[in-house]
Amino acid sequence: METKPAAHIKTTTTSQKLAGLRRLVARFEPVVAQGPHIQTGFADIDAYFEEQVANAGLACGGLHEVVAARAGDMAAALGFAHRLAARFLDRPHTQDMLLYGQTHMACREAGQPYGPALAAHGLSADRLVYIDGARLPDLLWAGEEALLCSAIGCIVLSSWDAAPSFTASRRLSLAARAAERPLVMALGAQAGTSASAATTRWQVEALPQQGWQVRLTKLRMSHNAPPPNAGWTLYPKTMSQTLPLMERPAEISGAAQVRAG
Amino acid sequence: MRDSAPLATGRRIVALWFPYWAGETTQIAYDKTQSFALIERSKNAQRLVGLTPLAAQQGLRLGLSLADARALLPDLQTAMAEPREAAARLQKCAYWLQRYTPWVGHDPPSDSEVKDYGLLLDVSGCAHLFGGERALLADMQARFLKRGITAHAAMAGTVGAAWGLVRFGATAKQAWRQIIVPEGQEGEAVLPLPPAALRLSGGHIDLCQRLGLATIGDLAGFARRELTRRFGPAPVLRLEQALGQAGESLNPCLPPPRFLVRHNLAHGVTQMQALAQLIADLCTRLAVQLQKASHGAQRLDLALTRSDNAVLALSLPLAHPCADGTHMARLFEERLSRLSRGVDAGYGIEHLSLAASRTAPIVQPQETMGAFEDSPRSQRRAAPIAALGGLYDRLVSRLGAQVVVRPVPHASYIPERAVKLVPVLTPEQGASDKQELSASLPDPATRPLFMLCAPEPIEVIAEIPEGAPYRFRWRRVRHEITAAYGPERISPEWWAGLTGDTPAHHNRQTRDYYRLEDTQGHRFWVYRDGLYERETTQPRWFMHGVFP
Repeated sequence: METKPAAHIKTTTTSQKLAGLRRLVARFEPVVAQGPHIQTGFADIDAYFEEQVANAGLACGGLHEVVAARAGDMAAALGFAHRLAARFLDRPHTQDMLLYGQTHMACREAGQPYGPALAAHGLSADRLVYIDGARLPDLLWAGEEALLCSAIGCIVLSSWDAAPSFTASRRLSLAARAAERPLVMALGAQAGTSASAATTRWQVEALPQQGWQVRLTKLRMSHNAPPPNAGWTLYPKTMSQTLPLMERPAEISGAAQVRAG
Repeated sequence: MRDSAPLATGRRIVALWFPYWAGETTQIAYDKTQSFALIERSKNAQRLVGLTPLAAQQGLRLGLSLADARALLPDLQTAMAEPREAAARLQKCAYWLQRYTPWVGHDPPSDSEVKDYGLLLDVSGCAHLFGGERALLADMQARFLKRGITAHAAMAGTVGAAWGLVRFGATAKQAWRQIIVPEGQEGEAVLPLPPAALRLSGGHIDLCQRLGLATIGDLAGFARRELTRRFGPAPVLRLEQALGQAGESLNPCLPPPRFLVRHNLAHGVTQMQALAQLIADLCTRLAVQLQKASHGAQRLDLALTRSDNAVLALSLPLAHPCADGTHMARLFEERLSRLSRGVDAGYGIEHLSLAASRTAPIVQPQETMGAFEDSPRSQRRAAPIAALGGLYDRLVSRLGAQVVVRPVPHASYIPERAVKLVPVLTPEQGASDKQELSASLPDPATRPLFMLCAPEPIEVIAEIPEGAPYRFRWRRVRHEITAAYGPERISPEWWAGLTGDTPAHHNRQTRDYYRLEDTQGHRFWVYRDGLYERETTQPRWFMHGVFP
């Protein structure tokens, strides 16, 4: 066994060497690209997965992180996280409920999910259980408990300023894989830089005209997939219609304050 | 005489007195057309301790010796009294009386030789449910009469007055008394009664007789300090309680929990691990009790008694009726770990008791319909719901009941009131609200996915009246608006003020909502509070939600 790869490396170029080693390591590591998968519902992203990942799609059993690119992009990141959650819940034969939990800080800063609007994002208010503010360790504990519960189809947790430690994310990731159910972790811009064991990490930035700039900054689903660097520009209809552009009077473009009383 | 005003408590107390309780409710068979008495051996003589009304009519009274009674009525039927059974029947009757009020108590124990049977009910605020106080007493007495029990009843504002009136009040033409004293008039009603109506001991009653004090009025004529010097403090207290000048509590007797397990320890336990193990054992034992009765606990009460008699009580609500010992134990473990400083065991916990204070019958789901029926749908459905209940229990016990919530639609046009977040453990209500709301709601995409907990004021830097803002500052960040849609006008609910279900600070102005997008691509839902010139001259702007 040991002599074979050594001989293999000798006769090849560096990149082939690397690929060979990767394949070797993959043999020791558990293959995670098994199990149920979903389509994200965004054609460009699905095409990418089709091309790059052996069995096409986003793994249900895993920890997925959605990170806001800038401080003001938390709403967009949460919106993307909820779109993913809606797709996860939409699987055939799936269990029912969505657990959505927030830290105290996230509650104050990002607001609470608003029932009547959930339908516009493919979710139903009847199927939502919401944790209205908790400390981050309690929230992560709740996420792990919920992964053990067969009636929860998807979990979204949101934290504004603190991210789970690497150990915590590793633990949640393993739990999610074992349960074959997804845990989506939405993180604020300050929190999204730490190391984590997540299966995927997405960075979301709001664009004008109801757009999102989504980048996949991490993919652990398959060892063969190259690190992705492409971003996608998506235009999900988050508001019911396109907003008409404002006509700006000449004096408004300056700093003049207009108050016609 | 100290003339203190009666305490206006608004309490209404009913005293019930059953003069023939032991005789009328006895299970012993006897000839109903003849007199009957229950006897007891005391002080080397057999004495009558229970009568029937017929025996009383024929001149017998309680405490008479059997020899004297036989002299009066040679063919008197007798049986040995069973005071324990009679007391147990009275206890049962007390539980039954909880149909009138949850607050039913026993008479204070008396030191008289002959046991008398009475109950006290606090019916404050209950009478209107039965059509008034007179109707309540009439209903109660009619029900007793149907069972052949003579029940006297008196209603007054104090325990003392009701107790005295029911025993010594004026007799009506009927076989039973029904006395109602309006609030504040206890004095006039009680003063003509004999001193025995004050719940005095035998010695004090004798003393009153010897002093020629025939009524409570005579007694009350003396200054209180003279009474105290002569009689001691007890009669004065009783007098003041009867007149409503001193307070008196009434202890309700509640039915004991049906499912209860206890553990006594020889030595106090201080270690948390040992305690957790003991609690787990209790849970297992309780679960066995529950399973035998096919019941599930909906609420658990754990009491830990320390060696210095301090009691630490924990109560735990459950989402679904639960008869699973390990689940209960796990919940207690989480709850104990959440206590900020753990359990203060002091010198050790010596006594543990665990009760299921609220239970519901569990219907065991049928496992299979038969060999031919494969995978019934209801079964697949039932399992996740039960699992969800377990998850709710665990989340609630660690995070708190108000934190784990689900959105429930509420019929309101005000956006923040259109949804209520209710704790998951509250029982589900009818779906009427839901349909009403979905009919009234416009396109869901016109509402933001995230609503701020409270609208936040924003500083609008440039605007035109009746239009969207061009530039505003929110959380110290300046936003230049490039696109806007609106206004969507939402009027205040004029009817909400009338029904009184609106908090006083609730907004009463018309709101104009705008959907905005700034140069960065951030999307907002803001509103202007109040119409220009009609409602306000300087309308304020608020940020209410964000679109993804």
